[in-house]
This record gives sequence, C-alpha cells and structure tokens, in this order.
Amino acid sequence: MSLDFLAGFTIFMLALIMVVSMVPGLLAGLESSGIDYDAVAYRTGVILVEDPGWPVYPPWEMKTGAYKDEIERMGLAVSKETPNILLSTKVDAFFNDTFFTEEDYRGKAIFGDIPYSYNISLKSGSDLEQTGDPLPLGGYGYIRRVVKIKEPGIAVINDSFAPQYTAPSSDQEFIVRLNFSKLLDPTIGAAYRIDPRTEPVNVTITDFGAYLNRTDPLVDNATLRTVTFWKMDPTRPIPQFTKIPFSYGTVDSNLYTLHIDGTPTLHSLRPDEKVFNNISLVLKPAATSVFTLDQNSILDIRFNFGDTPSRTNITGIHHYDYNPANVTIPALSTGVLEVAIW
Amino acid sequence: MVNDGGQLYTMEGVAAGVIMLLTAYIVISTTSVYTPGDTHIPDMQLEQLGSDVLAMMDTPDREGTESDLERFISAGDSADFEGMFLDYCNMTASDTDDLHMSANVTYREASSNVIKEHLFVEPDNTWTGRESAVRVTRWVQLDYRINPGTYDGSRTQAVLVEVLLWRA
Amino acid sequence: MACMNEDGQWIVLMGLLTALALFFLALIINQSALVGQTTAEGVLEFPKNDIRDLRSEIFDYIDRFGTMNFDGDAIRKDIIEISLARKNAVVGFTVGDPQDISGRMLRPVTIHYYNGVTEYDETVYY
Repeated sequence: MSLDFLAGFTIFMLALIMVVSMVPGLLAGLESSGIDYDAVAYRTGVILVEDPGWPVYPPWEMKTGAYKDEIERMGLAVSKETPNILLSTKVDAFFNDTFFTEEDYRGKAIFGDIPYSYNISLKSGSDLEQTGDPLPLGGYGYIRRVVKIKEPGIAVINDSFAPQYTAPSSDQEFIVRLNFSKLLDPTIGAAYRIDPRTEPVNVTITDFGAYLNRTDPLVDNATLRTVTFWKMDPTRPIPQFTKIPFSYGTVDSNLYTLHIDGTPTLHSLRPDEKVFNNISLVLKPAATSVFTLDQNSILDIRFNFGDTPSRTNITGIHHYDYNPANVTIPALSTGVLEVAIW
Repeated sequence: MVNDGGQLYTMEGVAAGVIMLLTAYIVISTTSVYTPGDTHIPDMQLEQLGSDVLAMMDTPDREGTESDLERFISAGDSADFEGMFLDYCNMTASDTDDLHMSANVTYREASSNVIKEHLFVEPDNTWTGRESAVRVTRWVQLDYRINPGTYDGSRTQAVLVEVLLWRA
Repeated sequence: MACMNEDGQWIVLMGLLTALALFFLALIINQSALVGQTTAEGVLEFPKNDIRDLRSEIFDYIDRFGTMNFDGDAIRKDIIEISLARKNAVVGFTVGDPQDISGRMLRPVTIHYYNGVTEYDETVYY
C-alpha cells in the first residue's frame, strides 16, 4: 500500500461522495406528488364527472351483488352530453362503500396498476358524502370539480286535486300514468328529463281525507287493497293495458317502498291497510327495468281501494309528466366533487 | 528517488473524479430545464375549476329558464356574479379555499365592427400583477333588452365573459 | 514513464461506471419530468372546455334563431370576430335546413375550430 495509491483513491472517493450527495437533490423536486398523483386525480375526476359509466343500459348503478363484476366503469354524469351534471341515484350508489370495496374503487374509477390510496368526497349544501382513507397532511394529488346534482321528481297529490279526482260512487281506482314517449322526448335536455328507467318514481297522496266519502260522517279512512302495474304498447295492432307479472306480495325495498300514513313500516303491494292520511310509493328503477318497457310504452300505477260500502270517492288518472302542477322536479343543486390520490 | 509508478494512481483518481463530476454537472444542467413542469399542474387545476364554475353558472336550474350567468351579465349585476363565482370556486368539503377573481366582458360593436371590453368585476387588493393567474372564458347570449346596458346597444348579441382567477 | 504500470486503471473504470449509471438515472428522471409536464400541458393546451362552450353556444343560438336571419347573422359575426380577437381561434359554423332524421326534424350543423394547435371539425344533427 503506497502513499500514491492512497492519494489517488482518496481523490476518487471524494468525487464519488460529492456526486452521490448531488443525486437526491436532483430527485427532490420530482419524488413529490407533483407528477403522477395529480394526473391520476385529474383522470378520476374526469371519469366521475363527465362520464355516465359503463354499462349505460341497464345502468351500472342498478347492478346487484352477484352482477357487480359487470360494472366496467363508475361514472356519475347524467349522460355524455351533460358533463358536470350528476345523477343522484348514481351518486348514492357510488358512495355506498359497504357495497363497493376499495378494490372496486381502484379498478372501476381510479384505474392504474399501482394501488393508490384515495379520498373522494362530494359536498352539496350541508350534505357530505365521502369514501376512502383520511387525507394525509400533504403530498397528494388533487382535483376539484364543481358540479350540479339532478334529483328525481315527485308527484304530490294533495287536496287541491280532490275536485278533479273524486266522483260519487266511483270505482275506487286511482291511476298514475307514465307515458314514456312523452317523458323521453328528445327535445327535453338530459339534465331535466324524467327517466323512470334510471330514476325512482315517487307518488305521494296526501290529505287523503279530502278523497273520502263523507256521506257517512264517521268514515275517516279507506282500505288500500292493492297497487298494481299495467302497461300498454301503443305500437301494437290492438293496444290494450295488460297487468305486469310482478311479485306484488313480497316486500323488497330494492324494487319499491310503500309507506302508509307516514309510518316506517314497509308494506307489500297488497297491503289491505287502512289509510287515514297519506300514501307514499317509490318505484325504484330496478323494478322499472324488469317491466320490459321501451320508449313508447305507457305504464300505469293503479291504486285500488275496496270497502263495501265504498268509503272513498277517489278515481281518475294523474299524468306523471312535465306539467309542474303534476310532478315537482327539484332544481339542480350545486355541489363540489373532490378527488385526492396518494 | 520518487518512482512514477505511483503517480499513475493519483492521475487515475483525478481522471475518475473529473468524469463523475462532469457527468453530474451535465445531468443537473439538463434536467433542471424540465422541472418547471410542477407549475403547470396548479394552473391546470385552477383552469379546470374556473371552466367548471362558469359552465355550472351557465346551466339553468330548471328546464327553459334563464341561467344565472346570463341573468347577471344581462342585468350588469357584477356583485352577485362575483359572489356566486367565488362561492362556487372556494367551496370544498372541509374548509374554504382562497381564490380571487376579476372579470371582463368582451363584445362587438356592430356598427363599427370594433371589439370592445367592459370591466365587469374589478380585481381586489390581492392583485399585484405577479400572480400566476389563469383565464377562463364562457360565451353568453344576451336577449333583446329594453334598457340598453353597457354592451352594444339593446340588440341580441353574443358576448364573451372572461374571468381571471388566482390564488392569493 | 518507462515503467508505467496499469494497476490503477480500475479507478478510472469505476469513475466511468458511476458516470454511466448517472446518465441512465438522468434519462429516467427526464422522462418522469416530461410526464408531469405533458399531462398538465395536454389538459391546458387541448381546448376541451373551449370547444364544449362553443358547441353549447351554437346549439343555444340554433334554439333561438334556427337558420339565419338578421339578428342571427349579427350573433354569428359576434362569435367569429370575438373568437379571433380574444381567443386567437378561427371559428366557423353553418346551420342547414331541417331534415328528417329517423322521424325527427333536425338541422345539420357543421362546426370548425382551429386555434393554431388544435383543429376540430364536426358535423352534427341538432
């Protein structure tokens, strides 16, 4: 070991140490979230806000547990033509994190090979929906999108309709009629459309006292026997209403909910229950999809009351359509969707 | 007598050191050109947010009604425009953001075919001119107005709303 | 230099190896920096929001005026002139007479957009 070798090696080592110490400084600006995380957050934001997801019909949000694998992509937009306008049923389905696992969110909304951590939230007014891990202090990719949320319409039949929908010695049958060719009219923008195939139909009869047969002053209720669904296809040669085969006797809150007099009890569609004040029926899109309806069909929801002697004078047809007196469509509400990826 | 066999070690050490340092220098000087990529991303986020806000203000809440943006521009209601814009921009799940804006409206004077600008919302005191602001725009169609406002008379016209957005 | 030996050359070799490694590292870093830049630029420079806005404006215009009339012509000119002046974009559109498209009367609309980087042409029935 000569002194000269020592000198040469020391110079080499010193230079090596200098170079090695430079390398982390070279990487410092790049190893932060700046690059990939922001791009992934942006992409996730675009998928959620500007895309209705896949499959479109029947829409992904209606897939139940066994068919979850058929969901390719979870998008929240009402349609491809309406970016930033989200459908509330899609939003509710998306933020159901007991149904979707972390893997589902990574595979159907975030994409990419790396198992990113994420936090996705949607705030509208004071409502906050959130999924994912709590945010770290910094170093995450982020995007914020301002959106509008479309809520389903509701038909409230209160006492102001009573003169129209009552007749002495009526047949005790009340019909709510949905004419799909009018509802799905392409001149109505997708953001304002009533589409029972993707949104629930809500029929609420209130102030039921106004519909009672008051010839006997002691009558304060009537018995709701059945609620049935009928359809007609006007393009057929001899169009007529046929009763849709359906499990009317079983309670299934995924298909419909029927509440009577505001109690939390779920009734079947053959309730045989006394109605004192109100009836609320919500028909979910999952049910409408098994009715095999197309864009020309007419769907009837028929409420049949039956008492002898008759205790209600209710009758007539209520059209579930774009007339604001018949169906209240809530205004679009503003919200903010945030995606954080790290 | 010093033999020069040893000097070679020193020379080779120096040579190796020079090669490494030169490489490091070249590498650093080339990569540093590209790192400003970082500043593009906040711009992108801000621009996307601003476009979203204008698009949502231009979406009527009900079918067949006038959008908020159209109403504000048509009536020259700059205070409500600014209020709603900042409200939408600064909304977050947990906190509020700190974004500021100014806006102007570009219109065309049909008689002389001159493009003119009207300062709609003045920048507030956080504006120094050195901010990295982004510009977002939106077309608005104004109906025939009985009271000619600040734009090109009362005729139906298309005007361009331009918003400058920055983080204070 | 008569008795020059080559025992020390491994030191130069080491230096060379380190330099090479550094070059490869730099190459990778450069790529990643480009990824960040191109993503942001891709979003900033592709005028997605501009084109969407223009389309919705043209559809709005058709809703109000249908085909050309005096007012409509002035608006058309507004859009073209202001686009050129404020957004450096050459814009043009034509609206045809309604045609029967699978049972609906729709107008053929052609839209042209060019901002020097991105060119966009579309024919749509509205």
